[in-house]
Parts: sequence; structure tokens; C-alpha cells
Amino acid sequence: MDLQGNVQVEYGRFEQIVSQFLSKSLHIILDSRVPSIRPLGRSGDLLLSAPVKKSDKWFNLVLGDRPAANLNFYHRNLVEPMIIDIVLVQEVPDSSYEHRPTTTLGLGKYVETVLERWVVQYEYISTVFPQVGESSTSYKKTYKKSIILLRSLYSMMRLLPAYRAFRKLCLSTQASDFDINYKVSSFSVPYSREEEEVMKQYNFLPIDAPQGRLSISVTYRASLSDFNLETSTTFPPQIITDYVGSPATDPFRAFPSSEKGVGATSFPLRGEQSPSSTPFHRPHSWTCGLHRISPLTQPRGGSPPVHRTSTMPYDCLSPPTNTYGPRYQNSTNHRTTSFDEYQLSPPFSPSPPTYFSGGNPLKTRMHSETAPMSIPRSMMGRSPRYLSPNLSDPNRNSLPPFSPRSTKYDPSSQDSASGIRLSRKSGSFRAGEMNSGMTNHCSSQKVLRDSKDDSGRFSGVLSSSSSPRIGFSRSSSRLSFQDDLDDFDFLCPFIVDDVDTSDSHASQNLDGKKGSECTSQAFSSAKKSQDAAVGALVHMLRNAPPLRQDSSCYSSPSSKTELEGEVGAASGFFVSRKTSDALEELRGYKEMQDFLLSKSRTRVVGKEP
Amino acid sequence: MNCEVCRLKELEVEHFEIREVLRCILHTILFHRALGLVRPKDVDLELFEITYVQCGNVELEKKIDEKIDQFIDRVEKHPNKKNQICLSFYEVKNKQAVWFTNKVERLYWEQWYISLNVAQQPKSHSGKSYYSKVVVDPGESALEERSHRRAALEASLREVLFQIIKFVNEKKDHVPPIPNLEGLSFPYEITISSSSDSASGMDMFKRMLQTGHPTMLS
Repeated sequence: MDLQGNVQVEYGRFEQIVSQFLSKSLHIILDSRVPSIRPLGRSGDLLLSAPVKKSDKWFNLVLGDRPAANLNFYHRNLVEPMIIDIVLVQEVPDSSYEHRPTTTLGLGKYVETVLERWVVQYEYISTVFPQVGESSTSYKKTYKKSIILLRSLYSMMRLLPAYRAFRKLCLSTQASDFDINYKVSSFSVPYSREEEEVMKQYNFLPIDAPQGRLSISVTYRASLSDFNLETSTTFPPQIITDYVGSPATDPFRAFPSSEKGVGATSFPLRGEQSPSSTPFHRPHSWTCGLHRISPLTQPRGGSPPVHRTSTMPYDCLSPPTNTYGPRYQNSTNHRTTSFDEYQLSPPFSPSPPTYFSGGNPLKTRMHSETAPMSIPRSMMGRSPRYLSPNLSDPNRNSLPPFSPRSTKYDPSSQDSASGIRLSRKSGSFRAGEMNSGMTNHCSSQKVLRDSKDDSGRFSGVLSSSSSPRIGFSRSSSRLSFQDDLDDFDFLCPFIVDDVDTSDSHASQNLDGKKGSECTSQAFSSAKKSQDAAVGALVHMLRNAPPLRQDSSCYSSPSSKTELEGEVGAASGFFVSRKTSDALEELRGYKEMQDFLLSKSRTRVVGKEP
Repeated sequence: MNCEVCRLKELEVEHFEIREVLRCILHTILFHRALGLVRPKDVDLELFEITYVQCGNVELEKKIDEKIDQFIDRVEKHPNKKNQICLSFYEVKNKQAVWFTNKVERLYWEQWYISLNVAQQPKSHSGKSYYSKVVVDPGESALEERSHRRAALEASLREVLFQIIKFVNEKKDHVPPIPNLEGLSFPYEITISSSSDSASGMDMFKRMLQTGHPTMLS
């Protein structure tokens, strides 16, 4: 009959509700008590973006993946109660082994104590006859009430004493001296008298259901102080939103991926902006480097210095990616506007390899101790005119000071500081020159890509190169380069010192000059360090002859004899030209002289008779 | 349909504890009354060893924080009064969407009263503070007193949460059918009142006006 069919359908739905109710309550209980069976990678808060499975939508309570537990047994009989024992497992030193005072797992006896006993059941009451008319509404009401009941179960799980033990277990990073396990069955071992005395009971109000009622009750230990539950960590993990890498870590260990490495590159930007104030704003979670890094180790007042001592070396790598990513994004906005002129791809893309030589740049700088903090001061002092563009342009800061292979930097020496500073600037100059008119062929990139040693030598030339870089981007003519170079000429007093060495390298770079593209070709032929090439380039630019001169003037064969002194390429060419021409002229003059003399003799002879 | 009223245990709090305590209580109540699809979010209190559950809904959090801000302002303006927050759930009845007036009838089916007794800042010998004890020996005794008070407040807060769960479990019949896809929770309203107002009288009067004739029970 139709009515009976309806009743059967309704009852079928009700059975489904009961079955899901049992499943959901088991999920809630185990999820809040047993950390070991939680699905891997599941954090405390469910990801909001994760799609909700249909099975998880039951009772409008999204819990995520079910714990890895055998949840099938209760399906056998819905009427049987589901008894869940939450058991505390503690290792007790075995009395027979008296010579082992410390207990490690596996050496002692295990003591199991029932912390909580949950009883979830559908109590079937045969005397309650289902009303035909009410059946459709009754299971809906049952469903609504069971939603509320499960919500209160969820809240209660967090109020009972065992929750603290569960949290301790979840937060402990190392092995703790206790564990929480569970047992699910349809029957239970009754408590002993002692246990009964310490247990309290709480019964949730049962829900009326067709032919019975759904009920949840719990007996629990009121206090866990007897068990002395201790774990390895006492501090809950806290996310430090602006974490600075610990200097204790391997200075040559790469930051994670280039993109994230870009995120980390904003470290120096901040550090340089306010080298003295930055550490005060940033809570530190490490203390080992405090004694070594004086400027960096001023901890913020009130911030606990020790958080995760055991996991520190690893931690210093992960947070920066999250924390500095957005900051770097802000700074990249500045970059992209200026880089539009440079016609470069976004700074954090791997294509311009000059920026990230293996992604190692920053950590070398970050993990040098006092040196990096002195850089901005000296830099600011030297180039006050270009202070703001320097600081606002993160490109300068994102470039490697020098190759991580070079161990030139010495934390305590001033030379290394200068090396870091200078080479970093040279790196920034690389960025500029890449898109100046001189590097049309991108062949210079090959040279610049190889970050070798000796980079510090030429960076002196480029100490205030960041501003001319901006100038370079605007025009590709050599004339403008000249102007810009002239502008900052006075700001690089130490250019003179480095010119000699740069000259030799630049001269080598000038091999095989052909045509007006000689500069790019020069770089392509030379396989020097980036800084050397740049030094030579700057030198050439500064000393490049006016445009009106023929291009042939650059095609002088011998390069080694050309460049001498600060006069540079033009003058060098000029000198060589003078010598050969002068010799020729001298010969010519001599011939003329001889000719004239001979003529005058003849005239004199002719006149004298 | 009757209106169930739950008056929670009065709590003695200090000014800086108001926000945490109110957040805990309000969110717990709403978690049990937001019967739409919910992704529960555990929140640990900073001042106490208590974890409560939020609905994981950003808008809800914002609204609650706004109301808490209003409450704190009220407390600052009326320092020597007992302040109360009332969280009411209602049903919308007889929606008459007229062009210029939107006559909406609200039928309240549940009300929660949260009473907070905000301790005044201990002013030395001012005599104005009614709720603070005169601190004779500053230092250790003050600290001890504070820790005692803090522990007592934690126990009381836990009791309040138990009270909420108990009430939620015992009274289920009055809860209206869950509105489908109309949002997370039943429509609710949070009002703030002080002890100086005849709050209960005003509330009752308002309710009478809004719910219509008392005999009109559905």
C-alpha cells in the first residue's frame, strides 16, 4: 500500500539519520581526543576554501575527513549502544629494571586509564508506535534536534578536562610521556569502585525519535592532575608574523624557491631602511644569535625570546615566505613601474638570472653578522642624493652581494662589509645596464650571470650606480650616459682606486670590437665576472669619445696598450693614433726638411755664382 | 510559541577581560543557534584556559565585535552600573514589503541575558569605586588577589558555558524550523542595557508592540 510504502521510506530515512548520527558523534569524539588518528595535514581549523563533501554536510557540521578508524562496526546493529572509551596511556617504569631510571618507550609497562567513556545510542522503545501522520515531520524534528545535540556535544568536548590533555599531546613536538588512545565497542568493562568515585557523569538530553530516542552520555574524570601529564613543549606554537631568519642556521642554505626567495629579499630592504629600529619592531624567536649580532639582537620588550628552540633552524626558513611575500609585493609595485622602462620581466621571475644566482643571495647577507647592518649607514652617507631611490627600489636589495661560493665576507672585517655593499650595488647596476642601450643583445647577460669572485674589486666603480641605472633606463644614447656618469662622478671617490684593475679587465673585454655594437660584443667575448665587466663598461662609458667621431676609432686592434690612466678609451685611442701618425708625420717632415734643405742649397748655389 | 529566556550567571570581570568573555559567551550561544552549514572553528582564550567554538563566519564575527565595542563604550560612559547584553532570536512574521514602509513583525522565541559586573579601576582612597576592594598592601597581596579573582572568573565562565549547553539541550521544542538557505543563523538581535534603565520593563513593552496581541500565538 502506498501508506505503508511511505512509512517504509520514512523509516528508511530515519535509519539513515541514526546511522549518520552515530558516525558523526564518533567523528566528533575521536577528532577531539585522539590526535594520532587525525588525517594527515589536517590543521585545527578547516580550510574554508576546501569543498565540502556531501557526506560531511550531515547535521550541518563540517568536520573534514574522517579519522582513520574502523567506523563500520556500529553499522551492524543500530540498536546496540556505541561505547567509546578514551584511554590515557602512560608508561610506567618497570620495577624489575631498577638500573634504568629514565623511561623510554618500550622499556616500561604501559598503564591505561579510562579518561572518558562516551555512550551514544539509539534507545529502541517498542512501546512507542509510530504515528503515520507524524512520521514525515517527526524525523525532520529529530534531525533538527540532533543538529543541536551534536553542536552541544562539540562544545562539550572542549570543556571537559581531557581536552587539555589532548591539546598538550597535539602541541608537543617531541615524544611525550603519555598518549591518548580509544576503544569502540558495544559493551564496556564496568568501572572499579575507585574509578567510580572519581568519575562524574553528564547526560545530554535525549532526543525523541520514532520508536525510541537518541541519547549521548559521558562519564569522565573530573581532574587529570594525578597523572602529571608533561610534554616537551610548554609554549603553544605561535606564528611570528615577521620572522627574521636565525643566524644560527646554515648561512649557505638556500631559501625555498625563487618566488619565495623574493619574499625573503625584503629583509634587507627593511633592514636598510631602519637598521636600528627594525629589530625593535620584530619579535624574535631565536636567541642563539643574540650574542653575535649586536644590531639585530635587541629583542622587543615583552616578547618571549624562546619559542621553538628545537625546531628553530627549520623555522627560520618557513615563516619568511609567508610574511615577507606580501611586503615584497608592495615593493614590487615600485619596481614594476621603474622596470617598465627597463623592459624587464617582473623581478621575481627566474628569467633575469642576474638577480638570483641560485637563489642564494640573501641568506649570505642575512647571516653575516654585524656587517650587513653597517651597509645602509655607509651607503646613505656616501650617496645622500640617491637615498630615496635607493631605498625604495628593492631591486638593489634583492641582488646578491656576491656568489655564495665566494667566502670573502668576514663578519668582523670592514673589508667584507664594503665588499658586500659594493657588490650589491654592482648587482643593482647590472639590472640597470641590462636594459640600457648597450645590452641590446642580451649577451651581456651571459657574462653577468656568472657570479664569480673578485666581484668586490669593481664594485667600487659602481658604488653609487643605482642612480645612473635609472638614468640609463631612460635613454640609450651614450651621451646621456656621459651626463649621468658625470653627475655622480664626485660621489665615487674610490673609483680612482679601482680603475686600474678595472682597466685591465675592461681592456680584455674590448677584444674583437667591430662596429658600433662593440660594447655588447666586448662583453660577449669576455668571460669575466659581472663586476669586472660592469666596471669596464662604466669605464668605457665615461671615457667614450663624442658621437661625432667615427666608429672606426673603436676598432683599434691592440687593446692592451690603449687604456692607461683615467683618460680612458678615447684618450687611449688618441694616444696610439698620435704615435703612429706622429711618426709618419715626423718622417714626412723629415723628408720635407731634406727636400727643402736640398732645394735651399741648390738655390743658394744658384744665386752665388 | 513561547519565548524561552535564559539568564546566565553574572560574571565579575575587569575592563580588559570584557572582550574575551563576551566573545566567548556570544559565540557559544550563536554556535548552538546557527543551524545552517557551519565549519566550526576552535578559539582559545588568551586570558583563560578555555576553548570555545565559533561558527567560522566572518560576518558574524564582525557583528559581534561591533556589539562588544558598543558595550565597552557603554561601560565606559556608565561606569557604576551593571550592564547587560541581551541576545534575542526572533522569527520574522507577516512581512509586508510596502514601498515606503517595511513593516516587519518580529516574534521573539528565545532570549539570553548576559550580565557583567565590570570592576572599576582601583582608585586609591577615592571612595567612588563601589566594586573594588580597598587595597591596603600593594604588591604581593594585590597580585594574589588578582590571580584568585582570575581563577574564580575562569571557573565562573566555564559554568556559564555549561549553563548554555544545558539550556540548549533542554529546550529544543521552541526552536522554529531551520530556514533553508537564508543564512547561517536564525535572525538575531543584540541589545545592550544598563541597570539604571528599567530595562526589563522597556524590553517587555517593546516586545509587546512588536509581537502584537499576546493571544496571537502560532
